[in-house]
Amino acid sequence: MRPYRPKDNVQKKAYYNDRFYVTPQIPKDDPASDEVYSKDIEKLQSKFSISESYIQRGELVIYIDPDSNVEVLEFLKDELDYSFLMEMSAVDFLAQREGFEIFYELLSLSKRKRIRVKTFIKENQAIESVQHLFRSANFAEREMFDMFGIQVNNHPYLKRILMPDDWEGYPLRKTYPLQGDEFAQWYEVDKIFGKEARDIVGPEIRDSAHIDRYDTERFARLGHEVPRGTDISKDEPDTDNHEFQEEGGVFLIKDLNKPQKVLSEKERRER
Amino acid sequence: MAQHQVNYGQDAGLPVALTTIDKIVNWGRSNSLWVLTYGLACCGIEMMASGASRYDFDRFGTIFRASPRQAEVMVIAGTLTKKHAEFIRRLYDQMAEPKWVISMGSCANTGGMFNTYATVQGADRVVPVDIYLPGCAPRPETLQYAVMMLQKKIRREPANRNRNLKQKRFV
Amino acid sequence: MQQTNRLRPFFENLTFDRDDNHMVINFGPQHPSAHGQLRLILELDGEEVVKANPDIGYLHRGMEKMAENMIYNEFLPTTDRMDYIASSSNNYGFALAVEKLLGIEDKVPRRAKVIRTMLLELNRIISHQFWLATHALDVGAMSVFLYAFREREWGLDLIEDYCGARLTHSAIRIGGVPLDLPEGWTDNLAKYLDKVERAVKEDYEALLDENRIWKMRLENVGIIDKEMARSWAVSGIMLRGSGFEWDLRKEMPYELYEELDFDIPISDKMDSYGRYKLYMEEIRQSVRILRQLIPMYHESEPQLMANVPQYISPTKEEQMTQNYSLMQHFVLVTQGMRPPVGEVYVATESPKGELGFYINSQGEPYPYRLKIRAPSFFHTGILQDLLVGCQLADVVTIIGSTNIVFGEVDR
Repeated sequence: MRPYRPKDNVQKKAYYNDRFYVTPQIPKDDPASDEVYSKDIEKLQSKFSISESYIQRGELVIYIDPDSNVEVLEFLKDELDYSFLMEMSAVDFLAQREGFEIFYELLSLSKRKRIRVKTFIKENQAIESVQHLFRSANFAEREMFDMFGIQVNNHPYLKRILMPDDWEGYPLRKTYPLQGDEFAQWYEVDKIFGKEARDIVGPEIRDSAHIDRYDTERFARLGHEVPRGTDISKDEPDTDNHEFQEEGGVFLIKDLNKPQKVLSEKERRER
Repeated sequence: MAQHQVNYGQDAGLPVALTTIDKIVNWGRSNSLWVLTYGLACCGIEMMASGASRYDFDRFGTIFRASPRQAEVMVIAGTLTKKHAEFIRRLYDQMAEPKWVISMGSCANTGGMFNTYATVQGADRVVPVDIYLPGCAPRPETLQYAVMMLQKKIRREPANRNRNLKQKRFV
Repeated sequence: MQQTNRLRPFFENLTFDRDDNHMVINFGPQHPSAHGQLRLILELDGEEVVKANPDIGYLHRGMEKMAENMIYNEFLPTTDRMDYIASSSNNYGFALAVEKLLGIEDKVPRRAKVIRTMLLELNRIISHQFWLATHALDVGAMSVFLYAFREREWGLDLIEDYCGARLTHSAIRIGGVPLDLPEGWTDNLAKYLDKVERAVKEDYEALLDENRIWKMRLENVGIIDKEMARSWAVSGIMLRGSGFEWDLRKEMPYELYEELDFDIPISDKMDSYGRYKLYMEEIRQSVRILRQLIPMYHESEPQLMANVPQYISPTKEEQMTQNYSLMQHFVLVTQGMRPPVGEVYVATESPKGELGFYINSQGEPYPYRLKIRAPSFFHTGILQDLLVGCQLADVVTIIGSTNIVFGEVDR
């Protein structure tokens, strides 16, 4: 895994950016090009202010005002038959635009169409809950609160859902490190044994390529086992038994205990 | 009470077998390892498979139990997350001595591919582990092999494990 | 001889002597019939559940955060560990979402499409068998568990022959499949299908359909009416069990489902027994689909990966013979493909329901945001409405009937 590093260092701009690479865009089609969507967008525009609307990869996307999210979704559900809220969540744009983009993914069974309703809120702005229209938003909004720290008004039970209740920080924000901050890294040790046990348990080993050849607490090297906790950093004791389930080794599996050497022609004949 | 019809003086003393207490106790222990089902994630499915038709775990005297009070081996099968860590310690404490732990799969060994904020980087940060079982997910044969290795380990150690506890460190 | 720790005895489990004579009990997170790590806090009035509060997140491994730090191809094996009963469905859902984002879903060669559809349906059979095994075990039918696992192992053997793994397949790539089917695989598949069809009829249904205990435990238990199903956005068999005729394979077809001939079973019983019948019927339909796919495989051309050098690595032969292909492959592996700026939401019908991937791309090799719409997440949420009013003994039946998998719920 590569750590996420925002590429906003002006000094290194030339290094990060390919001078000749033009980032392509997915084409945005006019909603009028689709007969179902064109009717829907007409009705929507007559009632609400829709700042932008387009069709991207066959799905209608509309941008609405964050204060009108309940009304728009209610209209979509009751009048336009987009009655399933399949998914909702947020996208972190704190670094670029100081806010979050929230999307609602709706599905209409009768029209066989999906629509994505998007809205933008500022960092400390709250959004109104839609869980009285769609119960599925109950869990989805809790998850959004848990992962991004977005407050949802009038939610019956706005508590953390995926992370423990006493967790600090919002994991899916871009500022949150992938491998956790200090609180996260010591969470289980602090909770079970207490902070004083940190020295004994030791820090997490996050380097996947980490090998400590003198570690006899956790791992035993095959063929060189020593009793647990033995200090072998000075002069490593040469141990004998390589473990097989069967006494005397397994058929076709090399026994590491036997001294291995290339036999000369003479020795072979003697055997 | 029925009279014994066996004359112990004849037939080289059969059917009397002489052994040490350690050996007979460990023989019994190692051949009836009752496992606490601790299916956490994908490895839990393979653990179920090893108990099911093809890989029939009962042959080893290994029976899955749902309660920690009746079990002596905990197979940590799957990713241990920070939210769950507290419960695994709680259940480990509820198991009666002597008890052993098999850490099944890369996630339980070291955190595996989930090198993230939410995953405990190795179950040995929370409970002491006897056997580490590599693989993602290990096949049922691998789990059976691990249980056989554990049986061998049990047969080697003294029946009264408390003698050994001094060596153990904090967890 | 316990070592000291700070955990104190837990009195949340049982709370007696409350004013209203209700009892609060804790179920899970480590419970054999919790299907993973579901924790339920149930408030009981006698034997009746008054309030249920599902607590999830015990398997939250941060997959969405991981995706933001990985190139698209790197993330593919992680999707295996979501719905680990049917790994290929997740691989496929993600691969299709990325293909839609890149706009190359039409360029996937036909043979790859056939193999993908085969894997999807094989996974569906295996997943349904696993569901039946665990569900029956929870309800108390141990022998069904053993039978269903026996046939499931045969299916896993086929998948193992193809990709080498039993559980975590990673058998589908963005733009195609990595391998062709081994020789004689389709013959084995045909034999397996006969066995499965027989097993469904003679083992599972013969044991369960008219079984009095099974019927008493399942009938009229866990009734999801239409409004509840709509409101909780349930999908898959849960939705069809409530009388909606909706299957993404038919309604918004992907892959080869448009050409294939199969039926969508629906049930208006709305209870667990109706859903059990649907599962059995779906296995039959999957068998039917797989039978049609075998001749399609033999008719197809042997190309396996889409030929889009901008995004997909060239074939091994081209890499070894052409300098530019090797360079392209090097860039795609070290830096990753750079999709266009934009976003897609792509849903497929996994064995559990609608599995959707929302990808927000800012033109970087990493997704800016990846949201996984897991069907089980909402099927867990519905428990808080569904369990209210039912008996404590039915809780296990209802959890089993929802077919939730926690790798997917918590991601």
